[in-house]
Amino acid sequence: MKLPVLSTSVLAFAALTGAAMASGEKIKFDYWYGLSGQLGEAVAGTCDRFNASQDQYEISCVGQDGYANAVQNTIAAFRAKQHPTVVQAYDAGTADLMMSGEFYPVSKMMADFNIDIDWNDYFPGIANYYASSTGELFSMPFNSSTPVMYFNTAELKAAGLDTPPATWEEFEAALVALKASGKDCAYGYAPDSWIDLEQFSMAHGVPIATNNNGYDGLDSEYVYNTTLHVKHMENIKRWYDDGLLEIRTSQGGLNARDSFAQGECSFYLGSIASHATVGKLVDGAFEWDVAMIPVFEGTERKNTVVGGASLWVLSGKSDDEYRGAAEYLKFLATVESEEWWSANTGYIPVTKSGFDALNAKGFYDNPPYKGREVAIQSLTYTEPGPLTRGIRLGGFIQARSEWVNEVQAALQGTKTMQEALDTSVSRSNDVLDKFARTYRGKQLP
Amino acid sequence: MRRAYFKNNWVAALVVAPQLLIIFVFFYWPTGQALYWAFTLEQPFGGGSEWVGFENFQYLLSDGRYWDSVWISTVYALATTVLAMGMAMILALFADRQLRGYQSFRIGLIWPYAVAAPAIGLAFRFIFNPSAGVASYLNYAFPDVWNPVMNGNHALTMVIIAGAWKQVSYSFIFFLAGLQSIPRSLTEASAIDGARVMRRMWDIQLPLLTPTVFFLVIINITDSFTDSFGIVSTMTAGGPARATNLMVYKIYEDGFRGLDYSGAAAQSIILMFLVIALTFFQFKYVERRVHYT
Amino acid sequence: MIERTPVLNFVTHAILFTGLAILVLPIYLVVVAASQTLPDVMAIPAKLLPGDQLIVNLKAAWIQAEFATKFQNTIILATGVVVGKIVLAALTAFGIVFFNHRLRMPIFWMVFITLMLPLEVRIVPTYAVAANALSPFQTILDVTGLVWLINVTTGVEVALNWNLLNSYTGLIMPLVATATGTFLYRQFFLTIPDELVEAAKMDGAGPLRFLRDILIPLSTTNMAALATIMFVVGWNQYLWPLLIITDPAYGVAAVELSRMVPDSNTTGGDVPNWHFAMAGTLIVMLPPVVVVILMQRWFVRGLINTDK
Repeated sequence: MKLPVLSTSVLAFAALTGAAMASGEKIKFDYWYGLSGQLGEAVAGTCDRFNASQDQYEISCVGQDGYANAVQNTIAAFRAKQHPTVVQAYDAGTADLMMSGEFYPVSKMMADFNIDIDWNDYFPGIANYYASSTGELFSMPFNSSTPVMYFNTAELKAAGLDTPPATWEEFEAALVALKASGKDCAYGYAPDSWIDLEQFSMAHGVPIATNNNGYDGLDSEYVYNTTLHVKHMENIKRWYDDGLLEIRTSQGGLNARDSFAQGECSFYLGSIASHATVGKLVDGAFEWDVAMIPVFEGTERKNTVVGGASLWVLSGKSDDEYRGAAEYLKFLATVESEEWWSANTGYIPVTKSGFDALNAKGFYDNPPYKGREVAIQSLTYTEPGPLTRGIRLGGFIQARSEWVNEVQAALQGTKTMQEALDTSVSRSNDVLDKFARTYRGKQLP
Repeated sequence: MRRAYFKNNWVAALVVAPQLLIIFVFFYWPTGQALYWAFTLEQPFGGGSEWVGFENFQYLLSDGRYWDSVWISTVYALATTVLAMGMAMILALFADRQLRGYQSFRIGLIWPYAVAAPAIGLAFRFIFNPSAGVASYLNYAFPDVWNPVMNGNHALTMVIIAGAWKQVSYSFIFFLAGLQSIPRSLTEASAIDGARVMRRMWDIQLPLLTPTVFFLVIINITDSFTDSFGIVSTMTAGGPARATNLMVYKIYEDGFRGLDYSGAAAQSIILMFLVIALTFFQFKYVERRVHYT
Repeated sequence: MIERTPVLNFVTHAILFTGLAILVLPIYLVVVAASQTLPDVMAIPAKLLPGDQLIVNLKAAWIQAEFATKFQNTIILATGVVVGKIVLAALTAFGIVFFNHRLRMPIFWMVFITLMLPLEVRIVPTYAVAANALSPFQTILDVTGLVWLINVTTGVEVALNWNLLNSYTGLIMPLVATATGTFLYRQFFLTIPDELVEAAKMDGAGPLRFLRDILIPLSTTNMAALATIMFVVGWNQYLWPLLIITDPAYGVAAVELSRMVPDSNTTGGDVPNWHFAMAGTLIVMLPPVVVVILMQRWFVRGLINTDK
């Protein structure tokens, strides 16, 4: 029988690789994460701790240098069937992953492997983002954050304010007072859809899109050019024109966070995840603290939702690898792991028991951790309602990009803010439309 | 051009086979797939797609935003090519005079070529920072005169300068080589005839440089369309308000970050055809004026 | 220099010096940043004079990024690209310049078009191919029914698989597929006078002999030029290694460098260590610069078209 030359070499290849796999004792599986820099090292730390804590499985963690890279590289690998078992995907990528159906829902996986996880222990504000319409968790919450308002206590006092502003009206008054007291940069700002649009809408209980922000169907449409959001952005434009805020971006020198940390600007609205970094940068040079982001006067404040990322388990892997992944996720869900993670990064614990345990230990009583409980407060202010579960809109990364570019144009003065938001909504709706047609016939799980 | 040839065409087939094989596997095959995506609505994870014919193209060609991107890319290509080649040619013409210090100048002008695009982007970002870099001194003198963060034209200028910087060394090398291949006898003869330095530059060196100019124009323009990604991504991320949204960057953003594979594929095809058309045009009409000998 | 032109000489020097200053300025700033401490490098306005931390930062960057392994890998990558390119490009250009067949121009264009579509744009399907380099052939065999045929006649199931991920071959091969070298060689070969070819034919030499005994020796400086260019290109590769290398043992220098400057906008925040990043930039910049400087004599000569 004639064997084609190529298939002989293929057999040889297969034999070699097969042999290599069988010789290892531990079951190996791969995890691709997106965090980089010091936070990336913290993720690598969790992997090392897992490997050290048991000898049945070995996790191999590879940093992908950014969330977008992590998602894209995973897709490329998936198409070539070379993908990892676990991937850390950011909030904006949730809809695409969900619609692909190529994942193993973590709630199902844990049940299949008889691992007991108290799903109710997770903060609803976090769990809902990653759950199906029936409440089943698809991905494992991991590094969750929410925005808070950082402020320079001393400078506020000097401007006559003893407590941080709780409403936008008070915020504006604070800016005016700061400028009057001689401060150049009262508020270091850069347009950020996550904070200005998404979290703002959550806290105020106004919709970003129809269908309860996309949860109820694929035929959603954006509506933020008709809500309170417009008033907020018009305020921002007004503050920019009046010099009450300054644009601070990395391209321009110091970004908003570093501007605050170096004492240049008095206010910074950003993720709680930066809490540790800000602490390091400030290094005791001045007193600062955090508070919840302001709402308009007379608004009934609602809970904010998470940013950060969650861990997805992808389909097409072996049972052994799934068992290993399940063990790793269980490991991360323990109180010790949460404590380690909270201590080494600015992220907050994702479970109530984790938070309670840390609280009981007095974790949040002193710097550098004092203040992070504000984030939990913001996340749990109310139970998540239909409008404050999260966002489930396809092509959301593009929508964010549209928003940022239009707002930039409005700030430049080439169009009014209303026009900018209108254009952004219209183009983003095109994206949603395309998304719906790409997945024609499929439902949101 | 009359040429003498070898007769054995099988040998020809043999020698071109390796490269053709490799470009088939690593270029044409993947490009074919990408081409296919341009005619469908492709789901990122695979798992299904819907044929939509030319719809993706229709959407693009009727999108003002896309034409903005094409315009910006064209401006960028022309500006960087002219700047880079202009500066390189002047430097080469003067360096070729081989005065004292020639060796050091040559080394000094050549090695920037070795620097990677992201590193260049970072360095220039530092320089052009309106508040922290060298440009900040300019802003101290005339407040707010330089603001690439909020002013689209400033941002585009900055990106063009960085792009041109990247190309100068490369063009300089080729111009210098081209100049040195002009037989000394020619220049000496014309000097004896009384032609001064500048005259010699104009009448002899420049015309004989045309093959190099041709080669460099093609490479520079092609590169500025296809190789400009690194600079934009480190310096401006396409902004502000899409002022530096080069076609290549837009494709990457829409496809890589936005996960819109079909739209990105359609844009890639248009980009490819644009560059092919430009090059073809240059080969057909410009190569005639090139003196190869 | 043929005559005395003091004024023009001065102007020449002035122009060259200005050009040099413009080209070198960005690198000077990189050196300055690499020699400062973290607070200094983040200071506003920028401090423009070098600090004293250069050696310290260089050492720290070297260890932090584990450049030793990366350099090894990148050298292999760059050298592989150089060798592959030189050989392939010469062969292909030879095949389209010195033979008179109708496919000359089509082949040239087919090769040339590979310059027109940058990798960024076709990266996902290229990755799929790298994961199984024989997949195009497998698909062809499937579609044309040959797989079925072979199966039926010999009982053998053809399943081609050649995984190039996390390997040197995978890093090198796609980069060898582009057209710069072929274009360069073509231009050079076009200037070879017909008389040389005629003489070879009269001597009874076949095309391969001509290639080996006459063309290659003539092309040495050309090859030096191409080698330098491709070494730099190979060394500075970022996007492709980022995608196909997930095993840190195979990492390359440029990817490692980018990891040194985390993008605070997408990953939740970190302190960007600019001084280390700039030091890393200097480290990564060094080998290609050294190569270019060493080779630059040959390099320039190699682009000369009339070295007979």
